[in-house]
Amino acid sequence: MIVQRIGVSVSMLLRMMFRRRIIPILLLAIPAAFLLAVYWTTSERIMPFRLASVAEEVFLEASERNISLLFLAVASVGFLSSFLALNLIQREAAASHRLVLCGYHPLALLVSKLAVLAGCTALIALYVSVALLLFFTPEHLFLMMLGLFLAGLVYGSYGLLVGSLIRGELEGILFIVLLANIDAGWLQNPLFYAEAENQFIIRLLPAYFPSQAAIASAFSDHSIGSSVLASTLYALGFLAAAGVLYFIKMRKK
Amino acid sequence: MMLEVENITRSFGQKAVLKGISFRMEKGGVNGIVGENGSGKSTLLQIIVGALKADSGRVAVFGRLGYCPQEALVFSQLTVLEHFQYFAAAYGLPVRGEGEESWQAHRDQLLEHFQFGQYRRERVAYLSGGTRQKLNLCLALFHRPGLLVLDEPYNGFDWETYLRFWDYAERFRASGGSILVVTHLIADKERFERIYNLKNGILQ
Repeated sequence: MIVQRIGVSVSMLLRMMFRRRIIPILLLAIPAAFLLAVYWTTSERIMPFRLASVAEEVFLEASERNISLLFLAVASVGFLSSFLALNLIQREAAASHRLVLCGYHPLALLVSKLAVLAGCTALIALYVSVALLLFFTPEHLFLMMLGLFLAGLVYGSYGLLVGSLIRGELEGILFIVLLANIDAGWLQNPLFYAEAENQFIIRLLPAYFPSQAAIASAFSDHSIGSSVLASTLYALGFLAAAGVLYFIKMRKK
Repeated sequence: MMLEVENITRSFGQKAVLKGISFRMEKGGVNGIVGENGSGKSTLLQIIVGALKADSGRVAVFGRLGYCPQEALVFSQLTVLEHFQYFAAAYGLPVRGEGEESWQAHRDQLLEHFQFGQYRRERVAYLSGGTRQKLNLCLALFHRPGLLVLDEPYNGFDWETYLRFWDYAERFRASGGSILVVTHLIADKERFERIYNLKNGILQ
């Protein structure tokens, strides 16, 4: 019964999401806008940078443009996933609560939202990876795609958490933009990181491990196992917190 | 017996909204609760359906419950038919394969009775307020509950739909179902077996 309920809910959530025309438009336009902005504003100059998650002495060389393209690709996947997650959890929450009163378990609703989020994030990561291929050829395409997917998963889970915690849409978007901007859109830039004063703080932020996984697989042959594991744990942490809050929100007040 | 409410109290901050509400409903009964705006009618109903916790007291529902909230709580981007499928899954009705026809036949009867079958493939976003309210009501009916709890159920209905609602209610009651209607205005007192007035947190 619970599997059937999750299946129905996934199907309905997908219909609701993609019938709002703005969603597919944003999914296609935001990464394209980010990548084109980088392409038009950066040079082909070769820059050495430190691969933070491997070892202190490991420096890589890549063009300023390629580094920036990948860095903003991670940011765009993270931002879009968290926006989708917020939308999934906040939109028409009262109608979702009615479903719970009629018999849906909150967990079944949350799992279905997570499944839709994971599916959409995988599609965004695929689209952004293909778009990156127009500009450069990464060392390990599928591992880079995995890094992008993990960025989406971590930030998507963060979006679910924000949506469970905060009722207002505007406030939720502000929380997402604030963190995504500072973390994925600024501090995780490998060129900034190499010279940053307090790297410990940067390593604690949610986009650190996914960024490292994407960068290491795009520009080197270094293993990304620990980054993948840490990203997954980060996402699970956010998800656990979001699950508890969602459950509290959906039960009797 | 279909419903037993015993000594329900509920406060919001310092304000006591419900001060020891007790009543019971027998099979086939149609009861109404009236009261001024803000008297706590919807709070009482939400406690009965399990959306809200009482500070103290007990609610016992015997049989399946159908709840129609005051505001049409539906999904704007889903069609009328998709709503029935989503809610069928919630009620634990079969949504694929065998057994599906039983509730679908009842759904089609409701669409016909309330005269909005022509909108079955329309998204809720494009429906009028009255048609949304019809859907809101039918989502509480199509799984054949024993007790209907309706919060201002005919808000936005035209006169014909209002009469059709009572026609359905009469047939539902005759088949052994019970109906509890909460409203701020009761036009046809003779339709109710009993009408309570909720005033100052007490049922009179």
